Amino acid sequence: MKTLIIGEVVDNKLSTGALEIVTKANDLGLDYEIVTVGSEESPNIGSESFKNTYMKCSENKLSLGSVADKLKNIIEENTISLVLAPSTYVGRDLIAFLSVDFKSSQVSNVINFEIEGESVITSNSINGGESEYNSKISSPNKFLLIRPKSFEEAALDLNTNYETVEITSEDPEVFDIFIEEKTGPQLEDSKIVISAGRGMVDSANLSLVQDLASKLNAAIGGTRAIVDAGWMPYSQQVGQTGKTVKPDVYIALGISGATQHQVGMKDSKYIIAVNKDEEAPIFQIADLGLVADTLSIVPKITENL
Amino acid sequence: MKIAVCAKQIPDPALEITYNGGNINRPDEQVLDDTDRYGIEVALQLKEKFDAEVTVISMGSLGTEKGIQQALQMGPDGALVLEDDSLSGSNSLMTANVLSELSKKVEADITIFGTESTDGYSGVIPQQVSRMLGVPCISYIKAVDIDESVTLTRQTSTGSEKVVMPSNCVLSVTAGGVEPRYPNFKDIMAAKSKPIERISIGDISYDAQQNLEFVDIKDVSTTKQGEKIIDEGEGFQIIIDKLKELKAI
Repeated sequence: MKTLIIGEVVDNKLSTGALEIVTKANDLGLDYEIVTVGSEESPNIGSESFKNTYMKCSENKLSLGSVADKLKNIIEENTISLVLAPSTYVGRDLIAFLSVDFKSSQVSNVINFEIEGESVITSNSINGGESEYNSKISSPNKFLLIRPKSFEEAALDLNTNYETVEITSEDPEVFDIFIEEKTGPQLEDSKIVISAGRGMVDSANLSLVQDLASKLNAAIGGTRAIVDAGWMPYSQQVGQTGKTVKPDVYIALGISGATQHQVGMKDSKYIIAVNKDEEAPIFQIADLGLVADTLSIVPKITENL
Repeated sequence: MKIAVCAKQIPDPALEITYNGGNINRPDEQVLDDTDRYGIEVALQLKEKFDAEVTVISMGSLGTEKGIQQALQMGPDGALVLEDDSLSGSNSLMTANVLSELSKKVEADITIFGTESTDGYSGVIPQQVSRMLGVPCISYIKAVDIDESVTLTRQTSTGSEKVVMPSNCVLSVTAGGVEPRYPNFKDIMAAKSKPIERISIGDISYDAQQNLEFVDIKDVSTTKQGEKIIDEGEGFQIIIDKLKELKAI
């Protein structure tokens, strides 16, 4: 099945999300090419093993609508039937635009897919990962948004072997571009992740989490509830609409464990949960659950490490 | 300025979602998706500054219309809602087709959404509506600064960026982007007399097709035999010992 994978440039390389999809595409033996979206000069996104087209946008324009126009041409010219993108801000915008152009609804939040003749069977995780919802797409064009960490990242030597298409557009101007400073271990690749929830009671108490995290060299995450409350930036949200993490150890502090949060962390290798509510759903997926007052136990762990 | 703001009625999120075949079971009484309160708040701030007319748009099974009332209580002028049995189990594109037509019906300059619903989570409807309307989509707005012009701050994967709001566009507002207002008793009473226009699929131009077929829902739950310990003072040590055992320290 002729396939297009949409990637992005991250840290001057092809995004992890795209490399994860490459693994699945190789497993299925799909005939694929990649289109990568970014604004950097000469990023390392090419490879000898696939065709890559770099859509170079101006960072001062909101140009994804114009990128979608070009993608539409590529899909038509190369008779591509399957389009795969990681479920990121950019991926979601592009897949949405293309689904309208081809009058074919996308499937979002896909965790796995298989080819069945001319159709594609997709799987979504529902009920906090306890069930899988399977759908069949049989329209000629198929658009899938793939959840990060659904597949292992392909190990590839990346180079600058690709064709560049400059995107020039009349799209709205973008200004005051702010790059959030990344300090300390990052959620995506840290071996230990400590996440906080409403049970931390007050944003001031997050300093307790930070103290423990710096001792353990851990990344810090949070639930949607505390991100919505402004305690933490959206970039640190773990769950359905935030990040998916799979660390060696996940420590959930004061998190009740709503299904939307579980989707983002249930595949961690070892889950430790601390919550004062004995009935909290997080205990159903924890390897080690401690029913305790989170606020008093966290500093004790930090002091005694 | 005319504004359409989308409001979705969803089953009470405190209850577990259940399915009938591939479709979410929807009780007669559904509530306003909290995610939509952020979009409604932005619409109301624009209304206050530019004297805009704000109409709530919604599709789906209406039931008691509690969620629509909750949206109106915040301050919009009225609602245009579409219910049709044939839309049960709609895919994203079918939903976007209806909502874009509702936006056209109210002649909206600006159409505002949350970023994704709490029950469906497809997260693409605002972008699809913008493409159907042929206007720019300013997605993932995390801050709004209203002066003579409107400056929108967008969340990006690396941080944020700003865009001046075009005169015709679709916006999607992230949860937490603004502080939604709480209606008081007077607002709640006033909402009851606001106009709600109810139309059906024959009243709009609709040509979206179902291209997704429900296959099944498989149980993949694994019963984890985790340990649950009640802290009696040494809980911190149990965690430290475990971290050592896992070679995390």
